[in-house]
Amino acid sequence: MTELVLQALWSGVLTGSSYALIALGLALIFGTMNVINLAHGELVLLAAYIAYTCESAFGASPLLAIPAAIVIVCAATAITYLLVSRIRTNRELNSLLLTYGIGVMLTNGMLLLWKADIRSTKSTWLQDAVVLGPFYSMRSEVLFFVISLALIAGLWWWLTRTWAGRAVRAVASNRDAAKVMGIDPHRVELVSFLIAGLLAAFAGAAIYSVGVIQPALGISLTIKAFIITVLAGMGSVPGVLVGALLLGLTESLTTTFFSSALQELAGMLLFLLVLFVLPNGLFGTRWRRAH
Amino acid sequence: MNSQTAFRISLLALVGWMLPSADVALAEEFVVGVEVPLSGSLARVGTGMSEGISVAAEVFNRKNGKHKIKLITVDDESSPAKAVAAVEKLASQGVIAIDGGYGSSNIGPASDAANKAGLVYITSGGVDEALTQRGYKTFFRINNTAGYSKAMLGLLSDMGAKNVSIVYLTKEATADLAKDVEKALTAKGVKVTMHPFDPAITDFKPVINKIKLQDKPDVIAMSGYENDYVGILRAAKVLKPDVKAMVGVWSLATSKMQDDFPDLMSNVYGTALLPFPAEFNSPDGRDFSEAYKKLYGKEPDYLGQFGYVQSQLLFDAIVRAYDAGTLKSGGIAAELRKSNKDTLIGRVQFDDKGDNPHFSHRMGQHQGKQVVVVWPKEYANGKMSFPGVPW
Repeated sequence: MTELVLQALWSGVLTGSSYALIALGLALIFGTMNVINLAHGELVLLAAYIAYTCESAFGASPLLAIPAAIVIVCAATAITYLLVSRIRTNRELNSLLLTYGIGVMLTNGMLLLWKADIRSTKSTWLQDAVVLGPFYSMRSEVLFFVISLALIAGLWWWLTRTWAGRAVRAVASNRDAAKVMGIDPHRVELVSFLIAGLLAAFAGAAIYSVGVIQPALGISLTIKAFIITVLAGMGSVPGVLVGALLLGLTESLTTTFFSSALQELAGMLLFLLVLFVLPNGLFGTRWRRAH
Repeated sequence: MNSQTAFRISLLALVGWMLPSADVALAEEFVVGVEVPLSGSLARVGTGMSEGISVAAEVFNRKNGKHKIKLITVDDESSPAKAVAAVEKLASQGVIAIDGGYGSSNIGPASDAANKAGLVYITSGGVDEALTQRGYKTFFRINNTAGYSKAMLGLLSDMGAKNVSIVYLTKEATADLAKDVEKALTAKGVKVTMHPFDPAITDFKPVINKIKLQDKPDVIAMSGYENDYVGILRAAKVLKPDVKAMVGVWSLATSKMQDDFPDLMSNVYGTALLPFPAEFNSPDGRDFSEAYKKLYGKEPDYLGQFGYVQSQLLFDAIVRAYDAGTLKSGGIAAELRKSNKDTLIGRVQFDDKGDNPHFSHRMGQHQGKQVVVVWPKEYANGKMSFPGVPW
C-alpha cells in the first residue's frame, strides 16, 4: 500500500507541475488585465505542434524547438493583445468573445495544417523510465517538472524584484495610479502577453513530450488553466503552483483509492470546496493583503 | 434494295441511333449526403471514414457506366446538435440517403433526424446497442460491439488468460465493449478487474500501478482510442507490470501506430481486418486499394475500409431501388435489407433492426514492422508471439 500511495503522490506532483506550467500564462494575463484569454490553450497547443514539426521535419528534440516556439507563439500572443487592446467598452466580457474566436480560428488552422491525427514525441530518451526508489516516471516528466519550478521561481522573482515586474503588478493593482507614476500600461500589458507566450511555448513542448496532442485539445487545456487560475486567486504565482499541485494530487489519489473515472469530478469538487471556503481563491486578495 | 428492305435498314439505323440516347435518358445522378466529423474531437476518425466513402463513390462512378453518385459532405463538428443540423441541411438539399456518422452519441440524434426525414442512415461509426433497439426501418450499421468482443475473447481464450485487468474509457462504445468482455470472461471463470477512466486523464501511471501491485493479471486489456493506448502503454513501459500481453481494440494494430510509436507497439494486439503490409487479394479489395492510394497517396486503413464497405452497400441498394422504381418510396431501405454480400470486412447482411449479425473482427499483433493477423485461425497469416510485451 505504501508503494501505491508514494507513486500516487509522485504522479500527482508531476501532473500538477505540468498543470502549473500550462496555467501560468493565463494567470499572468488575468492578473494584469482582468482578461481571460480563452485562446491560451490553443497557444500552448500551437507550441506543441511547432515542437512536433521540428521533430518530424528536422529530427530535432522537442527541447530544441522551444526557441522557435517562443518566437511564433509570442508573435501570436502579440497579435492577440493588439486585438484585445482595441476593445473600447466592457473589455472583460468582449475579450472573452474575442479570445474564444481566436481560439476557434487557431484550432481550425492547426487542423488544416497538421490534420486530426494524434501526435507525440518519438524521442525514446524523453520517454525512458527514471526510477528513484519507489518513484517511477518518464524522463520528460522529471525534466519539465524542474523546468516548471524554475519558470515559476523566475516569474515570481521577475514580478517582485524587477522594475518591469513591479510595473506589471502596479498596472494590475491600479491602472490609473500606475499611469500617474509614469508607467505605460499598454507596454506593460504587451509585455505580460509576451511573457504568457513564452510560458505557453514551454508548456507546449512539455505536453508534446509527456503526452499526446490533437487539434481539439486546446479548449480542455484552457479549462484546466482557468480552474487553476481561479483556484489560485487572481494573478497569484505561488497560488498557481499550489492550486495546480493540489489538483494533480487530488486527481492522482482519486485514481488510486477510488477510480480514474472519478478524477475530474474530484477535481471539480476541490474547486468548489476551495471557492466555498475561500471565495477569492487560495492566494486571493485577502491573503495577499494579510501578508 | 426494295422498299421493304430499305424500311428495315432505316428502322435498324433509327433504333441504333436511339439506343445510346435511351441509355442517357436512363442514367441518373444520385445525390448522397455524407455527415461526418471533420473537426472536433472525432476529426481523425471522421476523416478516415470520409476517405472510404469518397473512394467508394470514385470506384462506383468508374465502374458503373450508367449512374453516378454525387456526394454532399457536411461536417458535424463532433457534436450531436451539429450532427442533427447536418442531416436536416442535407435533407433540405434533396439527398436520397445519409452515409457516415461517428460516435454513438452523435449517430443517435443524427439518425433520429434522418428517420424523421424518411432517409436511410448507414454507418460503421457507432456500436452502442441502443442504436439498433429503436426499431427504425431506416437505420443500418455494418459493425457492432459483439463482433469486437468476440475477437478479443477469442484471442484471450487462445492465450489461456486466467486473470485479466480491463482498462476502459468511460464512453458508451468503449464501456459497452469492456462490460461485454468482462461478462463473458467471468462466465468462463476468468478473474476480471475493471478500471474505468475518464477521457480527460493524461497520466495512467496510478492506474497501471494499481494493476501491477494489486491485480497482478496475466493480460491487460484496453478499450479506448489511440491517445489512450499511447498513455497506457507509456505508463506500462515505465512501471513494467508482470503481464504476458497487452491487448487493445480499434485503432491500435495499424501501420500508422507502428510508424508513429514504434517503441510502444512491439507485441501489442488490436483488432485488424487485414495484415500489414496489406494484402488485398479480391478484385474488390484491389479496386479499393488502388483508388485509395490514387486519391490519398497512402496505404488504406481500417476506417477507410469500413467507410468504403458501408457506402458500397448503400450505392448498390440505391441502384437496385432505382431499377425497381422504388427509389422514392422506401426502396433503398428495402434493398439494403436484402443485401447479402462478401465484403472487405466479411459477410454483411442486415437483420430487422438494421444490424449486421455476421460481423466478427480479427485480431492482429505488431511484430517488428508488420501487423500479423493472429486470430481467428482461418484468417491468420502468422502465429502470435506470446508471451510478449513492448518492454
